[in-house]
Amino acid sequence: MRYVNWLTAYGPTYLNALGWTALTAVLASLGAIVLGCALLLIRLTAGRWGKRAVDGYVQVFRNTPVLLPIYLIYFGFPLIGLPWPAVVCGGLALVLQNGAYVSEILRGSFRAIDRVQFDAARSIGLGPWHTFRKITLPQVLVYSIPSLGNQVVLLLKDTSLLSAITVTELTMQAKLLTEQTGAAYEAFVVVAVLYLVLVSATEVFFRAAHRSVRWTH
Amino acid sequence: MLDVRTLSLLLQGAGVSLLLALGSIACATLLAMALCAMAFSRWTAVRAFYRLYIYIVRGTPLLVLALLVFYALPALDLKTGPYVAGLLVLTLYVGALFAEVFRGGVLAIPRPQWESARSLGLPPGAMVRKIIAPMVVRYALPPYINVCVMTVKASSILSIISVWELTFAAREIIERTLAVFTVLGLAGAIYFVMCFGMDRVGRRVERRLLAKGFVGAPV
Repeated sequence: MRYVNWLTAYGPTYLNALGWTALTAVLASLGAIVLGCALLLIRLTAGRWGKRAVDGYVQVFRNTPVLLPIYLIYFGFPLIGLPWPAVVCGGLALVLQNGAYVSEILRGSFRAIDRVQFDAARSIGLGPWHTFRKITLPQVLVYSIPSLGNQVVLLLKDTSLLSAITVTELTMQAKLLTEQTGAAYEAFVVVAVLYLVLVSATEVFFRAAHRSVRWTH
Repeated sequence: MLDVRTLSLLLQGAGVSLLLALGSIACATLLAMALCAMAFSRWTAVRAFYRLYIYIVRGTPLLVLALLVFYALPALDLKTGPYVAGLLVLTLYVGALFAEVFRGGVLAIPRPQWESARSLGLPPGAMVRKIIAPMVVRYALPPYINVCVMTVKASSILSIISVWELTFAAREIIERTLAVFTVLGLAGAIYFVMCFGMDRVGRRVERRLLAKGFVGAPV
């Protein structure tokens, strides 16, 4: 009953915040996947130094908390003449960090393909594009989609950190409501439920995507 | 820009971060053992509680849980301050991740091991101690170390509920000096050393344990 009253009073104020969370999560995920592909491409084609550079990048982002790049971009970019809006700064930080993880996921999936298949593809006269399209891509998708789904869920949860740099997404909204109304925990319980819904929806989406690319059932 | 005071503040913050992480890793390991036992309970209600706990903790951001506890504890007349709240939240969160790691370790034990342990007539307590636990430790160690590294990184989130640790110290210095790149670069380097060091120590322990002819050893 308490939550029904709460929702009728403050429900609509969550919608805008929900939109920001969903939008940031979707765009940052797409950005991270693009960056991850680019990093893997560099690692595979740019020789020894390209490999070292990408490995270094991945190690740095794997061993530092995502809050640091968020602060670095949000507080640092205005100093070098780039006064971007907070949500762009935060989104960029999420892309940079998750791109590192995505490139590792894709690399693992790529390595899971048996080398012999590439010899076989060449011996039946497939060019680089057709080898990629018909041999590499279908298998990489099957191997990587579950892990990519996990990563997107982590990214979705990390969008809550953007509340620390003034973005009014779900967590910030809950904080504002708590401070305005003095209610101790209702706002956060509602937000936690909304996150659970978003996370579950993401998981359902990736499970469906995985089913659709699997060739054996 | 970089002076001794800045450096010593950051190192103090790093000490607090490390204490928070190690403290919650220790508490969370105990919590996870209890949770893992619940996951294999014979009562459906207990197993359902386990699933619900994991679902909630894995489906909500740590920051939301932290803010929830931070604002709710004073409302329940528990004046604990941010440190206890932070430690509590981190323990509850990491405990769920560890519990899943341990559960995976138990499920990875080959079936014949269970059967032979039972056919030897070992009592349940001895079976867990002599057969199950040693194997779970070996199977679960690599993901366990990953979660430990994650705990150090996650402790930075507690800065938002005003726990004074490395990230909080860095932000405080930035707001005073505007030396964004130096200070955050340094803080990042300190985190890197802590996480990378933890990873390396974990790998060494892993190799040590694997050396004694373990069935699940990678070829």
